[in-house]
Amino acid sequence: MSESSPEAAVERDDVDARVREYLWGPAADGLDQPYWDGLVAGELRLQRCGNCAEWIWGPQWICGACHTFDPGWAAVEAVGTVYSWSRSHYPFITELADRTPYVTVLVELPAADNRRVLGILTGDDADGVRIGQRVVGHFELDEGATWPLLRWRRDSTEGARS
Amino acid sequence: MSTASLRGAAAVVGVADLHYKRGEAPHGELRMTLEAIVAACADAGMSPRELDGFVSYAGGGHDGAILGAALGVEEVRWSNMMWGGGGGTVAAALNNAAVAIATGQAECVVVFRAMAQEDSGRLGYAKYFYGPHYLAHGVGSPAQVCALRTQRLLEHDGVPREALRALVLAAYRHAQNNPTAAGYGRPLDEEGYESSRMITEPFHLYDCSRESDGAVALVLVSAERAKAMRPDAAYVLAGAQGAPGGYSSIIDNDDLYTSAGFAARPGRSGVADRLWAAAGLGPDDVDVVQVYENFSGPAVAALIDHGLAPAGPSAGEVLTVDNLTAGIGKLPVNTSGGNIADSFVNGMGLAVEAVRQIRGTSTNPVADTHISLFIGGPMAPLVSSTLFGREDTL
Ligand SMILES: [Zn+2]
Repeated sequence: MSESSPEAAVERDDVDARVREYLWGPAADGLDQPYWDGLVAGELRLQRCGNCAEWIWGPQWICGACHTFDPGWAAVEAVGTVYSWSRSHYPFITELADRTPYVTVLVELPAADNRRVLGILTGDDADGVRIGQRVVGHFELDEGATWPLLRWRRDSTEGARS
Repeated sequence: MSTASLRGAAAVVGVADLHYKRGEAPHGELRMTLEAIVAACADAGMSPRELDGFVSYAGGGHDGAILGAALGVEEVRWSNMMWGGGGGTVAAALNNAAVAIATGQAECVVVFRAMAQEDSGRLGYAKYFYGPHYLAHGVGSPAQVCALRTQRLLEHDGVPREALRALVLAAYRHAQNNPTAAGYGRPLDEEGYESSRMITEPFHLYDCSRESDGAVALVLVSAERAKAMRPDAAYVLAGAQGAPGGYSSIIDNDDLYTSAGFAARPGRSGVADRLWAAAGLGPDDVDVVQVYENFSGPAVAALIDHGLAPAGPSAGEVLTVDNLTAGIGKLPVNTSGGNIADSFVNGMGLAVEAVRQIRGTSTNPVADTHISLFIGGPMAPLVSSTLFGREDTL
């Protein structure tokens, strides 16, 4: 089919629409499906090698430590510390434009050998975000969204504990 | 151990840099690429028909056979594309051309890059480049990935934010002497920088590179031929590329998170170490630096990785506006205005400025430049550098 035919144009539009609709969610190759299923079940699941117990993130087909394929998944407590953060003012992602500005945190998880996961920091706490602060994850299903997301709040007991 | 050395085997003898305001290119990327190549060959005093090698990097769309056919070359002997986006392999593309020449694979290689928003877009591409685990958490652009790393560089490592500002202000100062820079006639001071809108913290508007349309080309030949062609050829003294182990693991789990990617790991040399070792030189030998700055923070990290500035709080003692300014400071950086104040054709224009410093034709010439460093896209998953020298440094 020629690039310039109307049919080709329609197909291209359909592809664009599909990309927008499924901006996040499981990858087509199935690699990270357990992560998303975990969110639905109210759990944070990361890869953990069933052979050598290595925590792995982002998702991989192979364990880089022992080279076991399909290394497996494990639930991890969604509690950690802020490793870094950025407050986005520019609406880089159209779907999140109404949230702007928002704070993305990179959270280090002690229970997963300090592997780091991303998330949006919710609530008024986001104003004073700093590296090293304790945060607790929760799972949110936005209105109209297909998949829940892991989001973070400052640990309100932080002051009491330290 | 290899017996072949890259040191002095090849030299840049022709350059061209065409850039336009974003979206205002008069032609598409293929046409502009050809224009840049023809102009670079004219600068070298040779016919484009003599080209036998073509090298671009991540995202370029036109291979050597297409360009060679259009230019009517005698033969295509080398047609390569370097992996690695974000400008990470822009210097590696130059190194690749030098490798081809040093090993006799080709004799006359052009390195090129063209960008036209009309053809390829940019932010649209960046958005879908990131996978769902970035997008779901609001990260859809290189600015945000670099901002996260830079925030830790500042807040945890202690590099002062004023170091980022100094890099930006020095670039604008240089642009005031460069009539073709986008920032020409638009001086920027501390107040203007600080009051500009936030893009993604800690980056203000002025911490971010421009987007231009345009095309850039550099022609490399063997040292023997370069000596016969012009006395001011820029010889490749060394080139290095790579990524430390544990770096570029996806989704921000890099071991050396605030490194720009050139740093060493315990027991392993990094890209910068390999560059210095191959050249037989060190950071103190450098006269002038062009560092790819998609954003100010990664560029500062790259200067630290190369040993040009100390890590942590004392980085601020070296990275001041005056010290980064040609004619004033000891570490002149981005003397055309760089990606931030001159133009952005995926950072390839910085390589041309590195060559101009060797020639003495920069609009901000650094007196008696012998050694000129070009650093490719810091904080990209794969990074690279090239060190140029004058003929008498060989
Ligand atoms: Zn394993």
